[in-house]
Amino acid sequence: MAQLGSQELKVGTFQQHLMSRKQRKQKRRRIMIAGLTLTSMVDMFSLLVIFLLQTFSASPELMMVTKGVTLPQAVTGREIEDSPVLALSVDEVYLDQKLIGKTQTLLQDPTPLMEKLTELRERWQMAHPTQKFNGVISLQADKNLPSTTVSLFMGLLPTQTYSTVQLAVITRGG
Amino acid sequence: MASVGASPSSGRRKSLDAELNLVPFIDLLSMCICFLLMTAVWMEIGGVNVKQLVGTEAPAQVSDTYELDVKYTSPTEMEVGLKRTGQKPTTFKVGAPTVEARLQLLRDSLKNFAGSLKTTTPSQDIKAKLAQAISVGRVTTKAGITYGEVVTVMDTLRDLGVMSLGLVPVRE
Repeated sequence: MAQLGSQELKVGTFQQHLMSRKQRKQKRRRIMIAGLTLTSMVDMFSLLVIFLLQTFSASPELMMVTKGVTLPQAVTGREIEDSPVLALSVDEVYLDQKLIGKTQTLLQDPTPLMEKLTELRERWQMAHPTQKFNGVISLQADKNLPSTTVSLFMGLLPTQTYSTVQLAVITRGG
Repeated sequence: MASVGASPSSGRRKSLDAELNLVPFIDLLSMCICFLLMTAVWMEIGGVNVKQLVGTEAPAQVSDTYELDVKYTSPTEMEVGLKRTGQKPTTFKVGAPTVEARLQLLRDSLKNFAGSLKTTTPSQDIKAKLAQAISVGRVTTKAGITYGEVVTVMDTLRDLGVMSLGLVPVRE
């Protein structure tokens, strides 16, 4: 017999009390096994994979659209050839993602652009000594630019033997 | 876990229910989705090839074919000219307030022109006829016309079979 304070506790009674408390606790705990329906998730995943595989393009992306340039749309756009990219935004001109200068300044004096184009051509020629320079250049121009500005830049390109201009467009439908 | 059910077990026979472990399958699908999402091309960029005729060598002289000139006379009107060596040039005007209407008129006019052409194979379609008849096309723009509109004109011409196109430099 144990004595706790002034109360007398029987050993058997205390053990019974502990046991009953444990049992009560266990009763209070509910079994929480949630059934997760995986079938619908697997279905969704499979559909996603099929859709993404269908829209997958194995050809690498050759062109990055320059910031500030909204390309026009066209139906007859073909696959682009790897070439230097001249980008005309509303007020700046970039060649291969490098800023060349302001549009209006370059229209007055195109020397920096001409020099860069020559440099690119010479670099290409050094890399391909046995081949003739193909003279292809890609042009990314904002669709809201005045067409006369674009035509003037296009007119400058043949002077550096870039006679074929690939106008970058967003292909739709075709 | 998902299971593939065969038939409910009966009597002493061993159950045919097989547990299919979906975890690696889901892992594989998730990896596939991640890879495909990262490599997906959302915006397809194409190219409209333009041969710059001004400042380069002159195009080959072909007397049997026409040269097409599309010249903007005002922001709402274009003059379309078709010339052939030794013949009087054919010109017509295409004018409409909207770009879509102008392009439709241009399309119709060129289709009419293709219809008037005498070919050895009468069943030839309009696109093939125009591709054969027109060797080169030039677009001359004007102040007030956006680059986007010029591209749509070139796109329409290419769609009709005029493959060799150029843009004439114009100072404002």
